[in-house]
Amino acid sequence: MSTTIAALQPLLIGGVLLWSGSLKLFGGHAAAEARRTALSGLVGEARVVPAYRTLGGLELLIALALIAPPPLWIEPAAGVALSAGFVGYLVYAKLAAPASSCGCMGSQPSRVTWRAFARAGTMLLAAAAALLWAPSTAWYTGLSDEPLLFAAVLAAEILLVVGFSPEFDHRWLLPLRRLHNRLTHPLSGGGFEIPLDSTVTQLIRSGVYRHTAAALHSDVTEHWDEGEWRFLVYSARYEGRPATAVYAVPRLRYAPDDVRVAIVDEEEGSTLLTLDAPPAEDSRPEWVLTTATPEHVHTA
Amino acid sequence: MDRRKLLTSAVLGGAAGIVGATALGSLSPEDVFAAEGATAKINPGDPDPNFIEGRITGITDTVLFVTSSDGSLHSIRVTGGTSIWKLNPTTFDEVKVGDGLYARGLRLADGTLAADSLWVNIVNLNAHVDSIGRGSLNLDHHGQRVVAHVENGRSAAVYNNTPAVSDMSMLEAGKHVKVIGAWHPDTNEITISTVYAAV
Repeated sequence: MSTTIAALQPLLIGGVLLWSGSLKLFGGHAAAEARRTALSGLVGEARVVPAYRTLGGLELLIALALIAPPPLWIEPAAGVALSAGFVGYLVYAKLAAPASSCGCMGSQPSRVTWRAFARAGTMLLAAAAALLWAPSTAWYTGLSDEPLLFAAVLAAEILLVVGFSPEFDHRWLLPLRRLHNRLTHPLSGGGFEIPLDSTVTQLIRSGVYRHTAAALHSDVTEHWDEGEWRFLVYSARYEGRPATAVYAVPRLRYAPDDVRVAIVDEEEGSTLLTLDAPPAEDSRPEWVLTTATPEHVHTA
Repeated sequence: MDRRKLLTSAVLGGAAGIVGATALGSLSPEDVFAAEGATAKINPGDPDPNFIEGRITGITDTVLFVTSSDGSLHSIRVTGGTSIWKLNPTTFDEVKVGDGLYARGLRLADGTLAADSLWVNIVNLNAHVDSIGRGSLNLDHHGQRVVAHVENGRSAAVYNNTPAVSDMSMLEAGKHVKVIGAWHPDTNEITISTVYAAV
């Protein structure tokens, strides 16, 4: 039984290497992906893409050697060497360039996480098992001797490798997560308060705010609710003096035309200005320059 | 509160005066800057003298000592009219050493900044939602994990640029979001102020 399990490993490794190698050698995004990996630290920027492709070619060769007869012991040995080398590269990438893409498979950039190490470790264990317990046994001998075991172990290992590969996440992990969120509603319980940001958005879209905004020079200093209104207080300058601008914004409905403002001098307690609608003659936006454009400013 | 009563009655009660534009002074940018007393000529490419970002290294009664990300040291003078944002509009006693901040105001002749607005621990992230946990989003921000907590009654969501709502249920794993929030200093966690998503 163990011979069957150990002997089929070259098929698994060969399959994974075929996939990975062909993506490196023939994939359309291979050059871009090569530049995203930590390989440039090892071989230099100029040689990254040829090195990446050479690695792909090497993987294809080893894959073909593993799958095609005759089953020489040197083939799983090469598999062990390749897997060990890849684990070493992952350690280097994690330490030297943690933001780089793994570059293992596919064109999607994926960080070096525990899953990359788990997948590389699985490959290494599989290759080692093949080398230690079935170095010269063809993988297809188990197919005729114990087909059920063969199929079951191979299927389990493929599932394991797919599970560890971020490249396939969008097919199973994301839909599972979305289903889980749909069933459990993790962000609910928020109540039905109108958030402050909603009121501020309504304010800045009102004509009264746009007319008075140039006088303001702070963000919201305080706010409170009373009845159907929410009051937002800003600091302002009115005719050169410091003042306080308070806006009354309808809280429960979207009606920017109903926004009112009062600019108050708090020290004297006097109201300097109130508006419940922008002045009729002010149809021109404030940002339109009224003076000539300075010489050093060039427009297209 | 008497002050709030005063302000409320000023804005809601009384005659609504329709005032000519001249009462507010000219609103064109050059006149506003000239009135503000912008003294030194600012050359294109110079850093903005009226803006400071960094981490707070010391606090006195009214002054914040800030170290910027480029290593320069600044002092910021906070007045009664300064707005202070720390997820919510708050007061000066909520500001602690070790907080990050953005400050905007007017640079005085002695080199200190008289702050008009402070935004303490404010962050602006464009990130990818990896998964949604209970009351939080697990974000991937340029390869780094950031946990964004939802605070009930405070966090808002903007879907497709419509006005903000407090309903977070249309956020999905696997999508991109922009998050404005408050950082928890020295951690990888933030509290969401507003999350912008496309639906």
